[in-house]
This record gives sequence, C-alpha cells and structure tokens, in this order.
Amino acid sequence: MGKAFDITLVGEFLPQLVQYLGVTLQILAVSTVFGIVIGIAAAIPRLFRIPILSQLVVVYVSFIRGTPILIQLFLIFYGVPALFLLFDIDLTRMDPLYFVMITYSLSNGAVFSEIFRGAIQAIDYGQTEAAYSVGMSDSQTFFRIIIPQAIGIAFPNMANCIISSLKDTSLAFTIGVMDMVGRGETLIASTAHALEVYISLSIIYYIVVLVLEKLFRLFEKRVNRYKPDVVSSA
Amino acid sequence: MTIDIPFMWTAFKEIIKALPVTMMLTLIPLFVGFFIGIVVALIRVYKVKGLLAIANGYVSFLRGTPIIMHVMLIYFGFPLLIDAVAAKLGISVQTQLIPISTFVLTALSLSAGAYLSEVIRSGILSIPKGQVEAAYSVGMNTFQTMVRIILPQALAQSIPNFTNIFVGFLHTSSIAFLVSQKELTGAANIVASTNLKFLEAYIAAGIIYWLVTILVEGLSSLVEKRATSYMRGGVR
Amino acid sequence: MIYLQGIKKSFRNQEVLKGINLTIEKGKVVTILGPSGSGKSTLLRCINFLEKPDEGVVQIGDVRVVAEKANKKDIMALRKQSAMVFQHYNLFAHKTVLENVMEGLIVAKKMKKAEARQRSEQVLERVGLSDKLNYFPSQLSGGQQQRVGIARALALNPEVILFDEPTSALDPELVGEVLAVIKDIAKEGITMLIVTHEMQFAREVSDQVLFMDGGVIVEKGSPMEIFTNPREERTRKFLKRISGGLPVHWIQKTAY
Repeated sequence: MGKAFDITLVGEFLPQLVQYLGVTLQILAVSTVFGIVIGIAAAIPRLFRIPILSQLVVVYVSFIRGTPILIQLFLIFYGVPALFLLFDIDLTRMDPLYFVMITYSLSNGAVFSEIFRGAIQAIDYGQTEAAYSVGMSDSQTFFRIIIPQAIGIAFPNMANCIISSLKDTSLAFTIGVMDMVGRGETLIASTAHALEVYISLSIIYYIVVLVLEKLFRLFEKRVNRYKPDVVSSA
Repeated sequence: MTIDIPFMWTAFKEIIKALPVTMMLTLIPLFVGFFIGIVVALIRVYKVKGLLAIANGYVSFLRGTPIIMHVMLIYFGFPLLIDAVAAKLGISVQTQLIPISTFVLTALSLSAGAYLSEVIRSGILSIPKGQVEAAYSVGMNTFQTMVRIILPQALAQSIPNFTNIFVGFLHTSSIAFLVSQKELTGAANIVASTNLKFLEAYIAAGIIYWLVTILVEGLSSLVEKRATSYMRGGVR
Repeated sequence: MIYLQGIKKSFRNQEVLKGINLTIEKGKVVTILGPSGSGKSTLLRCINFLEKPDEGVVQIGDVRVVAEKANKKDIMALRKQSAMVFQHYNLFAHKTVLENVMEGLIVAKKMKKAEARQRSEQVLERVGLSDKLNYFPSQLSGGQQQRVGIARALALNPEVILFDEPTSALDPELVGEVLAVIKDIAKEGITMLIVTHEMQFAREVSDQVLFMDGGVIVEKGSPMEIFTNPREERTRKFLKRISGGLPVHWIQKTAY
C-alpha cells in the first residue's frame, strides 16, 4: 500500500498471474471429479436407506454445509497430518495443494450427494413402473431410465456448484498454495501495488466464470434436449 | 500429536466471544444488501432504461468473482478513492483512521446485494402473470401491484433461498479474518497460534459455525411455514 | 391365457382385493368396470406385480407365480409375459417416440437393434404415428402420447396387454383417437384386460365384462348381459348412476 495507483500495471500483472490459472483449474478439476465419486457414494446410503451409513452421511453433509470452507481447509491442513502421525507417517512436508484438493473434494462431495439424491427422487415413479411393465430389471431401470434423466435434472445445480467452487479456490493461498492468488500475494509483497493485483485477479476470475457459464449452458441444452422449454427454443 | 479435548472446550469458550462480531459481519451486509437487492431486482424486472445495463453488470461481475476479491478491492481501493476526492476538494481526510470493518462491511454488502437481487428477481418472476392482471383488473396501479400483491408472495416463497444466502454469508464472513478482523475465524486463529493447538481451535470454531447454521435453518423452516401458510390449500 | 386364484391385497389394514378368482382365455378382450376404489386398478397391477399380492396365484401363459413365494426372477418372468398401458402414459421422458418403443425390445427381449427398430416402426405406423418417430414425449399431445404407450406395449407382442384407465387423463376431444386404436388392435386377437370408465367403448370392444365393487368381482358376463340385463343389484345401481344422463367423467370425479 501507499504507492500511487497505476492502471498500466494491471496489463503487466495479468500475463504473470494467468500463468498460474492452471493450478486453479487443476484444483477445480480434481475436486469436481472426486466430488462426483464421493457424491455418488454418499447418495447411495440415503437413497437405499442403509442404516448407520445413512446417518453418517447426514452428519457429513450437515457439517460441510454448516461450516465455512476456510475452516474446513484449516481442519484438513492440520487434521490430516495429525491423523497420519498416529501411524508414524509424516505429512508435514506434503505440498499444501493436496490438502486443498482433499478439502474441496469433500466439500463438493457433500453438495453433489444432495444434488444427486434430489434429482433421482424428482423422477416420477410412473417411469419406473413403465420400465418394469416392459420387462426391465431393477438395475436396467436404474441405469437406463432413472440415471439419464437424473443427470439432466442435476446438471444445472452441479454447474452452479462447480462455479462457486472455482471462486472458493481463491482461498487456497491461505495455507500456502501457489495458485493465482498465491502468486498475487508475492507480487504485492514485491511491488506494493495491491489494488492493481486484485483488479487483475478479479478480471481473470470473471472471465473464467463467464466462459464456464457459457460452456455449461451449451452442455445443459444438450442433456436436457427432451424437455419442452429446451425443445421449443432449439 | 493427540487431540487435547479439554483445551477444545477452553478454545470454544474463548472463540465464541467473537460470535457477535461474526453476526454483525453477517447481518449488516444482508440488511443493506436486501435493499440493494430489491432496487436492482426491480430495475431488472421492469427493464429500466439506462439503469438496466448497470444493474446487469453489477450482478454479473459480483456473482462472477470471489467475494474475497470484493473485500480486497474495497479495502485497497476505497482509501485511494477517498484520498483522491479529498485532494480535489482540498480537504484532508485521514483514511488510515477509518476502521477496517467499514471496508469489509461495504464489500460484503455489495456482494450480498448482488446475490439477493437474483433471489428476489426469481421470486418475482415465479408469481403467475394472472395475479398481475387480476390486480390491474381491480384497479391497482403498477406500484401498488408490486408492493401489495407480488412482493409479499415473492419474498415469502424465497425464504429457503434467503436462508441459503444467510448461511452462505455467515460462512463468508470468515474471510474477514484475512484483513485482521477478530470474528470467529480470526479469534480461532489467535487462540490456535498463541497456544500452538491449531486443530483444537479450528474444531471448536467449526462447531460454533455448525451450531449457528443448524439454528438458523431450524428457525427459517419455522418462519417459512408461517409465511407461506396461504399456500397450504386451506388446510391448517 | 390368464389365470388368477385367490388374489388378496391390503393397504394398511384396508383389504382392497378380497380373494379374486379369474380365468381369461387367450385372445379375449375383457373390460373391468366398477366405481372408484373398487380395486380394479389394483387387480390389474397385481397381475404384473407392480403391486405384490399378499396371497394368491397369478399365471400368464405358462409362467405361474405364487405370491407368497415370489422371488425377483419369477416376477421378471411374469412381467415379460405382459405389457401395460398406463393412465398417465408414463413414457420415458428422455427418449424419443421410437426409442420408447424400442427400449423394451432391446433391453428385455434382447432383440437386435435393427430388428427392434423395424418392429417399432411397424407398430408405430399401426397407431398412426409414423411421422413422429423422432419427437420427444413432451412435444406430443396426450392422445399421441397414449398411442405411443399402446405401441410400446404392443411391440413386445405379450400374452396380454393390461390397460389401466387409458383415457382417464385425456381431454375429452382426444379420447376418441385412443379408443379407436385400442379397438383396432382388439380385432387382432391379442388378449386384453381393460380397466375403463368408457361404457360405450366397453360395450363395443369386449368379449366379456367384469363388474367389480368392494374388492370382489360382483358379476361377469357378455356386454349384452351386463349392460342390458344385469343380475346383481349393485351392478344395476352403478350402471343407472352412469347412464343417468351424466357424463362418465363427471361421475369419476365426484366419486372421490
């Protein structure tokens, strides 16, 4: 702080910061993929009312939805190494990037599991009956009739979740990850032009969000092409 | 390293003292943001010329960027702006004397306004057009229709969304600790680093957030039942 | 051939079916009439085990299932003997008209894709929807959707097609086209069991009419016998109520 504002610096910082966009997208991609896996695993006990497991899932989802991502990040950052130390495994020098990925995967997993469960429950039971009536088995009905439609219902919510997850990655620097914001912090330390750095970062985030939104909307049109409003506008 | 359970309780008692700060950092932005949200939503619903583009840009940019960026932009940008204006007017303002919380509250209010305007707008759009026509048919004007017929229903229906935003901003207020606010996370950070018991402190803070969230969600579902009682098809 | 023996079904202590015995010969068209809540839809759904009977025996063709001992494999085998047309069509929303009809052929009947397509196109032509093959259900009228539902059932070439109030959800002006299709395929010699509120249609299409009330079959006979000279008081009352100059739809609604 303290130095005069210089808008031309934004042009100078942008290319330097964009180089670290890959790290941000890597966190996003990994946590989305693992989030989907965890989300499916966590949705199953509740859909099929598996005792004990389903209560555990309720607590897991409630905790994730009940605490800030920053707290979750700290809990994983300090908690996972403590846990592994019990087995004499020292993780203290592990790249903080992994802790970020674990945190965001767990966080996305909880949200995804709720989205999946809601989507599956939103399918009219008449469709299941119709599938049985033409001679399909339980698993054929689930995978051929229920799941394809549930994906269509879940997709817009998942897209929102992924976008807010992208914005949340901006907090990864707090445990020392060298992503865009992390690089921004070092730029601030060396140039003392904080405002220009944050303007540059905001521009990058905004553009990425707009691009993702556009992509998701195109994809959504595709998966939901059987729905009346999509059909008529297509 | 083992977990020091008794210390967790000590930390809990220490950290929860910061709850009022967290609540302030949550409630004030939501309160201010609500009014921003209504104004912006109405501009967008009625497509007010000249203001529509600004409103759209405001919502799109603030929803498209991380809230920590808003906090930092305001925190570093506002003093420069005030200094510049003050210099033009030839008065001297000691920007370093403005409390940091003012900047945080400004930033969070602007963010909340953007998110709430979307909730309010979709609430308004969910009210069937027939209601507007019915209101006109009994002689109400546009303003009366909005205030007496549309908004009450739109807001009542949006309670679950408001709850999500409330919980979201309760959690978002934790980033204020990054600009050294002593709210729950900031307090946990102090307790953690002075005692070198990080995990215990953050578990305690997590539990506090968790409890507040559960409380808020419970209250909200009670309020929702009352507020949307007109939608229960005549059955109490 | 369909053979039912001692079918009982209760929902929460309410006995909906009180021991139904019924034999339907191959190729016959049988309609089931009766007031709402008489158990006719439940009976139909017990035949393909969408509702599992509490007791009794269901036999379609040469697949025989005893309710108390029924396992998944038995139920699957039984379902492959029958097909159903639903009140609310229940078309697969994410599949096109053609795919809806092909789905059962490919998955349950293990038919080759090309063969299934050919068969489906043939059946869809039969119900007059050749020009809608690649439409999604949401793009069709109710009457067209129900004709797809009929084609989906017909394509499977089952021992029996079960019709569960196939026109009850339709707008009055669309009922005709669906009934015409059902009448058309009734001529073909497929065994059909139809729950309906359309009296005129029942009279025209059926070989046999069953009247159900309170979970039992009160009376059965030819359309002639049931409609012009019912033996039982309950049947007479029901028919009188319907023919009292009021449209059947109205009676259906007010019966609740």
